[in-house]
Amino acid sequence: MSKPHKPAKPAPGGPATAVRPELVRAERLRVGYGTKPVCGEIAFTLREAEAIALVGPNGAGKSTVLKTVVGQLEAISGKTHIRGQEADDRRLDFRREVAMVFDDDAFFPALTVEEHLAIVAAGHGSTEVDDLIDTELEFFGLTGERAALPHNLSSGQRRRMLLAAAFVRPRSLLVLDEPEQRLDTGMRSRLAERLRSEVDAGLGLLLVTHDPAFLSIVATRAIFVDDVVKKMTPDQAALAISFENPHAG
Amino acid sequence: MSYSTSMSEPAAAHGHTLSAKEIRRYTFKVGLARSEGGIMELVSEIYTYVFGAVVLIVMSGAIIVGLRHSLGLGSEPAWSASALAPGFASLEPLQASATLMLTLAAALLSVQMNIGPIAMTVPQTFWWLGLPVRRRGFIEPGFFRSMIWPAAGAVAVVVPLSLGIGAASSPALVALATVCGAALALLLYGIAGWVQIVGGERWLRALTGAVTVVAPLSLVATALINNAEKTRIDMSWLQYLPTSWPLLVAGGQLWPLLVTALAVAMLAVVYANLERLGSASLKSSAVASAYVAGSVLSMDASELSRSLSNGSRSGHSWIRLPLVFHRGSLTRRSVLTMLSAHLTMQLRQPGTLVRVLVLAAIPASLASVQFLGNATLIAVVLYFCALFAVTGLGSVARFAAGNPSVDALMPLPAKTVRRAHYVIPAVGMTLWMIICFALLHVLGVGSWPLIILAVLAGPGLGGATLRAAFRPTPDWNMPAVATAMGPIPTGAIRSFLIGPDLTLISLLPVLICLISGVVPLLAFPIQLALTLIAYAWGTKVRKPKKKGDGGIFGLPAAAPTR
Repeated sequence: MSKPHKPAKPAPGGPATAVRPELVRAERLRVGYGTKPVCGEIAFTLREAEAIALVGPNGAGKSTVLKTVVGQLEAISGKTHIRGQEADDRRLDFRREVAMVFDDDAFFPALTVEEHLAIVAAGHGSTEVDDLIDTELEFFGLTGERAALPHNLSSGQRRRMLLAAAFVRPRSLLVLDEPEQRLDTGMRSRLAERLRSEVDAGLGLLLVTHDPAFLSIVATRAIFVDDVVKKMTPDQAALAISFENPHAG
Repeated sequence: MSYSTSMSEPAAAHGHTLSAKEIRRYTFKVGLARSEGGIMELVSEIYTYVFGAVVLIVMSGAIIVGLRHSLGLGSEPAWSASALAPGFASLEPLQASATLMLTLAAALLSVQMNIGPIAMTVPQTFWWLGLPVRRRGFIEPGFFRSMIWPAAGAVAVVVPLSLGIGAASSPALVALATVCGAALALLLYGIAGWVQIVGGERWLRALTGAVTVVAPLSLVATALINNAEKTRIDMSWLQYLPTSWPLLVAGGQLWPLLVTALAVAMLAVVYANLERLGSASLKSSAVASAYVAGSVLSMDASELSRSLSNGSRSGHSWIRLPLVFHRGSLTRRSVLTMLSAHLTMQLRQPGTLVRVLVLAAIPASLASVQFLGNATLIAVVLYFCALFAVTGLGSVARFAAGNPSVDALMPLPAKTVRRAHYVIPAVGMTLWMIICFALLHVLGVGSWPLIILAVLAGPGLGGATLRAAFRPTPDWNMPAVATAMGPIPTGAIRSFLIGPDLTLISLLPVLICLISGVVPLLAFPIQLALTLIAYAWGTKVRKPKKKGDGGIFGLPAAAPTR
C-alpha cells in the first residue's frame, strides 16, 4: 500500500467551509436482529464530500449498521434519512443516488462480465455504456476478462467486477462493505486513491474497513462500532485497527 | 459490442432510463443466445412436462381407484377389509376430507409465506433491484409464474376428493369443484402475497403452524371421544369452512364458487401493490426459493422439508443441558458430552419434534375414518410416516455428516462416535413406534404382541436414520440415466434410496403382521435379527474412497501422466 495521504485542510473562508448538503442522517439508530441489538446506539450525519469509516472488531455489527442505514435491514429503533427522506430503496431517487457493494455476490451464469456491467450502466440511463465499461474494466484490471463468464473468474476478480458495477453508474452516496476484501495490495491502493478523489469531488462515502492504510487515505471521519459506539478521527481509527485496541482513541 | 444498440437505441440515445421490461428482455436474450441447448433443449423441456403430466394423471387415477374401492364403489378385494374393532364408530369421510383440506390450506399458506410467495431469482435481485426503474416489470413475471404451483396442487387434491366424496358427482360438478379449489389456492396465494408486501405475518404463521399440527390430531381425538363416550361430536361445521367449499361444490352447492371472485379481487389488490415490495423481502424470497429448488434437485426430502418450513431462527434457546462431565474415563465423559450435545440440538428444534409426534398419529387418524381403516392402507401410510419421522430425527446426524470436523474433535474412535449418534434416533423412534401403535391399538387395530414387535423395530429405525444421514454423496463418475428431470447419474438414484431401504427392512415384520392381523412367535426373532442388522448397517463407518477409485463402470481411473 502506498503512503497514506492526508485529506487536504480546507482553506479558511473557502468553499469547503460552507455547509455542504446533508446526504445521510442516522438518528439514535439501534440495529440488530429481532429485538436484540448487536452494538450500541449510533447517530451520525454524512454530508457531501465526506467519507465515514465504520471500524471495530469482527461481529461488532458494522455491516449490520451499514445495511440498516441503507434500508436493507429493519432498525430496532431510530431512523435513517437519505437526502432528507426516510431510507427506502423502493423510491426511484434513492436507487439513482445510492450505490452499494456488500460482501455477498450473485451472477447470471450465462452473462459475461461486460454484459453484467452493461445492465447496470444502461439501466441507469447512461449514453456512454461502452466507454464507461472500458474505463472501469481497465481500472479494475479486468480488460482481459471482458468476455469471461462469472464461473471462470477468481474470487478476487468477481470482487473487482462487483466494485466496477458500482462505478459504471452515477452515484452521490457510495456504501462499501470491506472494499479491500480479496484485492491485492496494488489494487487496494489504486481504489483508495480513487475513492479519495471522488470524495474530494463531492461523493459521500460510507464504508466498513479493516485496513488502516485504506482508511487513512479514504476516510474523513471514523466511527468505532462496538457495545459502546465512539466517534474518532481517521488516525485514531487506523491506530485502533492496527493494534486492535478499542480504547486507542 | 454496442449496448446502446443492443439494449435500446432510442432510450440510450436520449439518455432516459430503460424500462424494466427492456432490461429483462436483454438479460434473457443474451443469456439464451449463449446457452448450449437450442431446439433439443426445447424438445427436452416439452418431454419433461408431458412425462410429468402423464405421471401425475396415472398417480391420481390410482388414488381415485383405490378410494372408490375403499368406499365400496368398486369390487372390494380381501386386502381392503376393515382392521378396526367390530362396532367401532368411524368418522364420516366428509369430516376427514374437510380436515384434510383445512390442513393442506394451512400448510400451503405457511409454505407460500416462507418462500415469498412472489419471488425473483437471486441474480435478478442482485443486478436488477438497484436500478432506478419501476420494478413492476421485474416482479410481474414471478408473480404470475408463482401462481401455477398452488393452482396445480389444488387440482391434484380436489379432483380425487371430489370423486371420492361426491360419489354421484357429475363431471361438470367435479370440474366446478376443481375451479373452486384452484380459486381457493389462489386466494391463499394472494393473502401470502399481501403479507409479503405489508409484513407483520407473525400471528398468521403461528396460526397456520397450529392448524397443521392440531387438525390431523383432531381426527383421531374425535374418534376416540366418540367411542369412549358412545356419542358423536358434531363436526359438520367443518364443511362450511372456506377451505371445504370445493367439497360443497362437488356435492351440488354452487354458492361457494363465490371464492373465485374473492381470489380475483385479492390478486388484483396484490398486483396493484407489487411496486411496494422491498428489496429485502424480494432477496429473502429469492434465497428461500433457491433453497427449495436446490433441495428438490438434490432429492433430499429432509432438506426440502426444512426449506419449505420457516427458516428464521431466533438464535437463542432456553434449552441448556450439561456438556461437561467429571466422572468416569475419558471415553465415558466424551460419549456423555456427545449425547448431551445431540439431545440439546434435537430439543432446540421443537418444530421438528412436534412434526415427528404428529406423524405418529397420522396412521391412527387415517384408520379412524370410515372406509379407510383397512390394514394395507394403514401399513403403507405408516411406512411413509416412519420414513419422515426418521428424517426428522436425523437432523443432528445429518449435521455431523456435513461437518465431519466437529466429530473429529472428539478423542474417540470413529466407530464409537457413530454409535453415539445412534442413541437418540433409536430411543426417539422406539418412543415413536410405541405412540403410533398404542393409538392404533386403542382403535382396535393390532394387538399387544404387535406393540411389543413395534418396540423391537424402533432401534432398527435408529439405524435407518444413521444410514440416511451418512449416505455417501452421489458418485458423479457413474453413467447417467435419463429421467424426467434430465440425466441423473446412477449413483444419485442409489443415494436417494439409502435410508428408505433400511426403514422398510426394519419395519417389514411389523407391517406384515399388521396386514395379516396375527403375530406369530417366529416374528419376534426375525424382528430382533433385522433390528440388529439395521443397527450394524446404520452404525457402519465407511472407509473413505482411495484416490483413483470410482472410475467409469467401476474400473480404476487411469494413472496420472506426467
